[in-house]
Amino acid sequence: MSMPRTMLSLVLTSWAVSLAMAQGSAPVVEAKWVMAADAAHPNSTVKAAVVAKVASGYHINDHKPTLDYLIPTELKLDPLKQVDVKDVIYPKGVLKKFAFSDGPLSVYKGTVVVGSVLQVGRSIAPGAYALKGKFSYQACNDHACLPPASVPLTLTLKVVPRNVPLKPVNSDVFERAQVE
Amino acid sequence: MDEQSGVQVPAANGTGQGGQAQETPPPPERAGASKGKVLMGAVLALALVVGLYFVNRFWITPAVKIQAKPSKEHPSAPDFSLADISGKKLNLSDYRGKVLMLDFWATWCGPCRIEIPGFIELQNHYASQGFAVVGVSMDDSVEPVVEFYRQFHMNYPVALGDARLEELYGGIIGLPTTFLIGRDGRIYAKHEGATDISVFEDEIKQLLALPPDKEAVNFQQEGFLRTRGGQIELGDPAEIDSEVPGVNLSNLTAEQKEAFKKLLAGQQCPCGCKFSLLKCRQVDRQCGISRKLAREQLDKLVAKGT
Repeated sequence: MSMPRTMLSLVLTSWAVSLAMAQGSAPVVEAKWVMAADAAHPNSTVKAAVVAKVASGYHINDHKPTLDYLIPTELKLDPLKQVDVKDVIYPKGVLKKFAFSDGPLSVYKGTVVVGSVLQVGRSIAPGAYALKGKFSYQACNDHACLPPASVPLTLTLKVVPRNVPLKPVNSDVFERAQVE
Repeated sequence: MDEQSGVQVPAANGTGQGGQAQETPPPPERAGASKGKVLMGAVLALALVVGLYFVNRFWITPAVKIQAKPSKEHPSAPDFSLADISGKKLNLSDYRGKVLMLDFWATWCGPCRIEIPGFIELQNHYASQGFAVVGVSMDDSVEPVVEFYRQFHMNYPVALGDARLEELYGGIIGLPTTFLIGRDGRIYAKHEGATDISVFEDEIKQLLALPPDKEAVNFQQEGFLRTRGGQIELGDPAEIDSEVPGVNLSNLTAEQKEAFKKLLAGQQCPCGCKFSLLKCRQVDRQCGISRKLAREQLDKLVAKGT
């Protein structure tokens, strides 16, 4: 009886310390918004993606969670008059069994890339446009959960005339995101 | 002693171990067997002592030392009054004299959900001895809580919590967070994360053994206790209920309070909220940046004596 209890205490201590550390210093989830090209042309589509890093030991729920009571991960983008959100592409979660679940749950761990496709308007004037969005999640580790939270995001979309060539950037991210 | 079995039995002459047979020196050929008996006896005695230790440690409710004086180690549980999910008033003070388990949880929290059946069992088993469970749900709305309550046949009251209650209880970092409050109204244990029900049960037994007016000084919590210097941290009501949340204004005069608020209203908060320091404090109580700056401003104001 003593050994499992000691083990339990140690396990609880270790997760709780990690919980405290996660809360006290770095956030559990960090997210940034990146584009597939250095700029966009009028009347075109442009790929963008949110790269979220989930702290070690934690997971966030799949956009389509395994159980209906779980809070899904979501990317919400505020469209502009000349920039519409055509699509948001969520990755497939990984199945993992937790101490609190009867069966495996589909979750995101480590680096999560959520892709999006933006439609740039025909009559948009060249210039910089700030798109706002929000990456919402609810994180847990094996023994406890943190309250639902969100990371506010701002993407500066640079629009250039059609005769200005575009340079691809962040290709490693977009290979993972499978944004088509 | 029966040599075959090693079990103590009455001697054939009826004298037993203390009779004449003991006074007769053993024949030389039996001396080795006698040493073996001594060794066997020592091993058995040792096994008995070790066995008794473990029985006492884990199966018998430990004797609890008590003291009448309050200690910082076991602070008084902050009082609160909420409406439970059926609309009935739920006051912490109504539980004085009982051992209370106060569970902060949410329906969206898997580790919280697995604890609930165990809490229902504890409520069933120990309620007659003066034990009660109260759930504080941190869900945003009551509907999923009501549904969960029915689905799981919960047998103890549940109320929706709020930010003030979280702060009063020292900030609820993660869920579940469960407090055990003694009959004397003190917090004896704080468990963060899903905890084995046997751990709670051991602690409940210890606390049920206490009189309502004495503090258990040697109460032992198992698992991790989120403390500073071995103490359970609670929020300060003077800061929580302040006009500038997070800053204790109780020592200021009405004029000083107004001057302080005006000062904060005139300064931009650098946290990114685009509000003044005052507004940030009022709308985002968790913002550590505006809290720190507001406290610094208060210190300056007090130092100036204005």
